[in-house]
Amino acid sequence: MSDRLSVEKRLTLVKFVIHEEPHITIDPEKCDKCVEKYCTKVCPAGLYTLNEEGKVSFNYEGCFECGACRIACTHGSVKWSYPPGGYGVYLQFG
Amino acid sequence: MSEEKFDVIVIGGGPAGLSTAYFLAKKGLETLVIERGPELGAKNVFGGRIYSYFLDKYFDGWRNEAPIERWVRSERVSFLCKEDGVTIEYRKYDDIDGFDSFTAFLSKFVSWLGERVENEGASIIPGVKVEEIIFEDNVAKGVVAEGEKILADYVVVAEGVNTLLSEKYGFRRMHTPEAVAVGIKEVVKLGKNLINERFSVSDDEGVAQFFLGYPLNIVKGGGFLYTMKEYVTIGAVIKIEHARVGDTYMREIVEDLRMHPYIRRLLEGGTLVEYSAHLVSEEGFGGLLDKPYGGGYLIVGDAAGTLLNTGFTIRGVDFAMESGRLAAETIVNAHEKGDTSEEALSYYKKLLDESIVSKALRKFRNTPKFLSNERLYTTYPSMLCDVLRRIYTVDEMPIRAYEALKEATKDRVSLITLLKDLWAARGGI
Ligand SMILES: Cc1cc2nc3c(=O)[nH]c(=O)nc-3n(C[C@H](O)[C@H](O)[C@H](O)COP(=O)(O)OP(=O)(O)OC[C@H]3O[C@@H](n4cnc5c(N)ncnc54)[C@H](O)[C@@H]3O)c2cc1C
Repeated sequence: MSDRLSVEKRLTLVKFVIHEEPHITIDPEKCDKCVEKYCTKVCPAGLYTLNEEGKVSFNYEGCFECGACRIACTHGSVKWSYPPGGYGVYLQFG
Repeated sequence: MSEEKFDVIVIGGGPAGLSTAYFLAKKGLETLVIERGPELGAKNVFGGRIYSYFLDKYFDGWRNEAPIERWVRSERVSFLCKEDGVTIEYRKYDDIDGFDSFTAFLSKFVSWLGERVENEGASIIPGVKVEEIIFEDNVAKGVVAEGEKILADYVVVAEGVNTLLSEKYGFRRMHTPEAVAVGIKEVVKLGKNLINERFSVSDDEGVAQFFLGYPLNIVKGGGFLYTMKEYVTIGAVIKIEHARVGDTYMREIVEDLRMHPYIRRLLEGGTLVEYSAHLVSEEGFGGLLDKPYGGGYLIVGDAAGTLLNTGFTIRGVDFAMESGRLAAETIVNAHEKGDTSEEALSYYKKLLDESIVSKALRKFRNTPKFLSNERLYTTYPSMLCDVLRRIYTVDEMPIRAYEALKEATKDRVSLITLLKDLWAARGGI
């Protein structure tokens, strides 16, 4: 258990109350033009990934609501808000 | 709910918002705290240590009630390299005074603070997000939450470092990638006995530790470790400007740190129980709002930029709470006169300017620049390891410290640069 854990595994340790509507969306057109793809690097939950065609895909489930992607994105593609009250990450040891 | 009117609505139930509400309620003002998390503490993340100066001053009996994990009696700074490292420890033994900071989980601390606030008569509703602030003639009159209007004479913005509402109403601009860092944290359950043995502390004694160097050199960040009673928290803080371009992914960075042989040994046999992240301001005095007030509203805590990082100590929670106390004092004064004008609330700025919060931030105004020197995270930790490696790696002829230093600086840093950096430390930390 002192071994390295994948981010997927680590996310299973965290409690989330998922709302059906994503609180963060990205603008695919802006992302297609973006070369840097900073979001894929900064997200501590690894929620921004590149698919086979090199396009950014994003999954809001597992989001810590930290806001790193919003600050990192230079193209204004990340439309960021908090989930509705009571939803989202639910920490025990913050 | 829509019929009611409060004296004050506080947006956000973190340390800043709850402290504001505590001091308002103490003076009998009808106060409502609105927190978006399902309960207090669910959204708050920090490293692990709170300084007790202001708690001692204003919260009677807190030492017997608050969820204190351990009193910090060991302060450590480690410079890590890939296969070796240097650690400096300042240790308080036995009864020497100085129980002035403790480790904690912010989630638990905030719930405790919430109880104190409710005992004073304020209301807290968790699980509700504030969507809008209502303005009439440029004076804040209440908020909209879950589609309902809730009115109040004063609105206190305590939304933390993600300043969405503040940006929406032009109180401040969005943080730049240079101004904020992402803090990523893991919580490892190790058990009291193992913690006591490995860190050489007794039951109530705790350790606060910083890390520089490998593997965080890649993203020019720093690491931290705090011992709780049964748990250890470890994490990394990396400016967004570096986090987004480094040769590593932020989702792996704390695991990289946890796998360092030094930390691996400390945490061997432990179980990871939680993983989380949150932003931290890196701006210091430059990030403190010039105008943390306006008609009917005040801004407190991280949202106002009150966090201080001296390079050795981080005072986020206690400074946020102190700004809340000053905001409460301002509102109590204005409320007596029935005044919600911008002018009346500018008194907060005056109090803040005269307070330790603003004075300390000013005193350390050059620190953020000093701390943004990349060599602190890359060159110097590896140089330090190198010097000591040369001294302590013995074959036939022992080496003099000066020789080791000369060898270690070679190809790393010029003498001029080294002296410049030393000189900068004078005003920087
Ligand atoms: C990794 C890391 C390590 C740190 N280590 C330390 C440390 O060791 N010691 C220390 O003193 N400080 C530390 N800090 C800093 C400290 O956590 C903050 O300075 C402190 O929490 C600020 O308090 P706050 O109340 O201003 O903001 P927060 O604690 O962020 O609280 C803001 C609250 O407002 C709520 N909120 C936001 N928007 C809305 C809305 N629209 N409606 C309703 N509710 C809303 C949020 O859910 C949150 O609960 C650390 C920070 C990080 C990220």
